[in-house]
Amino acid sequence: MDEFKIILFLCNWGPHTAFQTLQDNGSEIPDEVSMIRIPCTGRISKSLLFKAFEMGADGVVLAGCKPGTCRYGSGTATARENTEDTRDIIGLLGLGKERLRHVTFLPDESDLLLQFLNDFCNQIRSLGPSPMAPIRIPESEVISRESVAEIVSYHDAFACQDCGKCSSACPLALIGKPFSPRELVNSIIAGDMDSPSVNKDVWSCLTCGLCYDRCPSAVNFPEFMRDIRHVIRKNGGNAHEAHGGFFQSLMRAMTSPGLKTERWDWLPQDAEVDSKSKILFFGGCTPYFDIFFRNHLGVETLNILKDSLRLLNFFDIKPALLQDERCCGHDLLWSGDQENFLKLAAINVDSIHNLGIDEVITACPECYRTLAHDYPKHGIKLNFKVTHIYELLENEISKGAIDFKKIDKKITFQDSCRLNWLESPADLPRKLIRRLKPSSFREMQNNGSSAICCGNCAWTGCDAFSKALQVKRLRQAHATESDLLVTACPKCQIHLRCAMEDPFLGEELKMEMIDLTGIIAKTIYWE
Amino acid sequence: MTDSQNHKQKKKEIIITGFGGQGIILAGIILGKAAAIGEHRESTLVQSYGPESRGGSCSAQVVISDEMIHYPYVNHPDILVCMSQSGYDKLIKQMKENGTLIIDQNLVHPARGLKCDFFSIPATSMAEELGRVMIANIIMLGFLTAVTEIISMDAAQKSVTESVPKGTEKLNTKAFKKGHDYGLATLKGRQKKAAGQAGAIS
Repeated sequence: MDEFKIILFLCNWGPHTAFQTLQDNGSEIPDEVSMIRIPCTGRISKSLLFKAFEMGADGVVLAGCKPGTCRYGSGTATARENTEDTRDIIGLLGLGKERLRHVTFLPDESDLLLQFLNDFCNQIRSLGPSPMAPIRIPESEVISRESVAEIVSYHDAFACQDCGKCSSACPLALIGKPFSPRELVNSIIAGDMDSPSVNKDVWSCLTCGLCYDRCPSAVNFPEFMRDIRHVIRKNGGNAHEAHGGFFQSLMRAMTSPGLKTERWDWLPQDAEVDSKSKILFFGGCTPYFDIFFRNHLGVETLNILKDSLRLLNFFDIKPALLQDERCCGHDLLWSGDQENFLKLAAINVDSIHNLGIDEVITACPECYRTLAHDYPKHGIKLNFKVTHIYELLENEISKGAIDFKKIDKKITFQDSCRLNWLESPADLPRKLIRRLKPSSFREMQNNGSSAICCGNCAWTGCDAFSKALQVKRLRQAHATESDLLVTACPKCQIHLRCAMEDPFLGEELKMEMIDLTGIIAKTIYWE
Repeated sequence: MTDSQNHKQKKKEIIITGFGGQGIILAGIILGKAAAIGEHRESTLVQSYGPESRGGSCSAQVVISDEMIHYPYVNHPDILVCMSQSGYDKLIKQMKENGTLIIDQNLVHPARGLKCDFFSIPATSMAEELGRVMIANIIMLGFLTAVTEIISMDAAQKSVTESVPKGTEKLNTKAFKKGHDYGLATLKGRQKKAAGQAGAIS
């Protein structure tokens, strides 16, 4: 019996009374149910719900008070939304929506509660154990001097001349955060790994790469940070994960080989795909983002994938899709979880190789960088070429006979950090934008090689300064007198939208946003 | 089908016209060579080689046929390629009815309402992008090959590499490819438009 694990989050107020009645009466509560008493179901976030599955639960129940009887007013409504979002996400993940339920009980409904628990346990038994392998939490290792010294020498951080060009370029330092890449390098070289400031600041770095561009000694600070984060995390350090660590959990969950993800559920009817094609379209995680943020930010990053597929079809390319596609692992790699990044990489590359793919096309800058550069750098051999969709579009459009409809919008452009610091695709977005026919195109004050990050990377270290950065960026966008902000990364859409939701500054900052693929798909036509 | 119609289909008369110095004659030579050497057909070339070749208008008259060619001059071309306005103005009236007109849209502004198969390509600006205006003729040749299919791509490409000055083969092959791609894209665009799928979002 006890091979199944069912977690019952039970609200302190209404349903707990019912549960207690069951215990007092000696009713037979199914063995597999582990009850966790909580103050209010509204405080059980999506990340906590998901964490239960990550740690090996086969089913999770969030039992709260009936609508209208919540002790705190909004708890039940919040719990319902959180459960709906998490259910849809685990559905996409291939775990099965049925494994998570939100139910409500009055204090005197103990019979109903018992009946529900029995039914739910039967349902989970018939579904079988969760296909997700429980995540092993590694024992924390002491940070050894050697491991840090190795990273320092690998990135040649000793070459730091203490000139401060990094700090004078760092968007975080410029927004007023007491943060200095130079100081961080010096502290780490001095072996000061335990100091609270190092432990905190390491997670704040945006890894945008501006400092690396300015560094006269070419110390690759973002990659240095990435590797130091790995060491700190192994030591059990707090990774300052945003959104309660939901996305890290989600990505780690995808390392389970048994999962059959259903992430192409949303595919539009008119999208033409061909499972025998030698060209693969790698979508990325935007379907999850849209569900996670739908009640707060209302982002529509899935449109990037739809428009990319439309554009491929426009050029008569019918790509294959990886039915078993997982996250590329970018955010795990950059938030210090190298082990699970490598697992994801191995699964993805294996499935792509099994399909006999020659070329992988992606519209996500992070997927592009990770597949094309970070996989090979971490010793994973690729038998295929990775192309960013901008490369393909530029190539096809330059063949000619293509024109663009006029758009009655003044546009400006938010660079993507991950494309900006790679050699070949860096100038591509602008080449494509110049082909468009908006009423005007004006660059923001910081653009190209001095562009500012959207405020966060790899879902880690988000704080008030991230918001300040977003506000600064959106003010720059407004200063161009544009009315449409074109972006190149789904994360930019999410993070900039977050600042637009600010209760005080929101109205001032609001601006229509569209991904570059979207504006191209809307206006492109055969001449 | 009568014999004379049959004969007509197998014989194509082409005039390429432009300024002296654009490589109009060279384009004619490459075209004829591709047909004669590459595909073992018959071809002739007549070039106007007067004072015009120092900057005035200039033209190459090419005949390609499967049978012996008895008369090399072209009075009424099936295909007219124009790389200058003056050449266009002078020769457009002579073009056969339902002939094919191909222009460099950077240099020629054709009259409206022409009754012919019409193709245009910005050959000169494409050549500028590739770094040398001189290769506009090769771009045009690639385009001509793609949209009219009077000669095969392989024969044309081989003929290009054999006829251009030594050391410029790579650039010229690139130019040819670019023009050819543009031609294929144009044809594809026509097809899509005819099928009512001109945009990406239906």
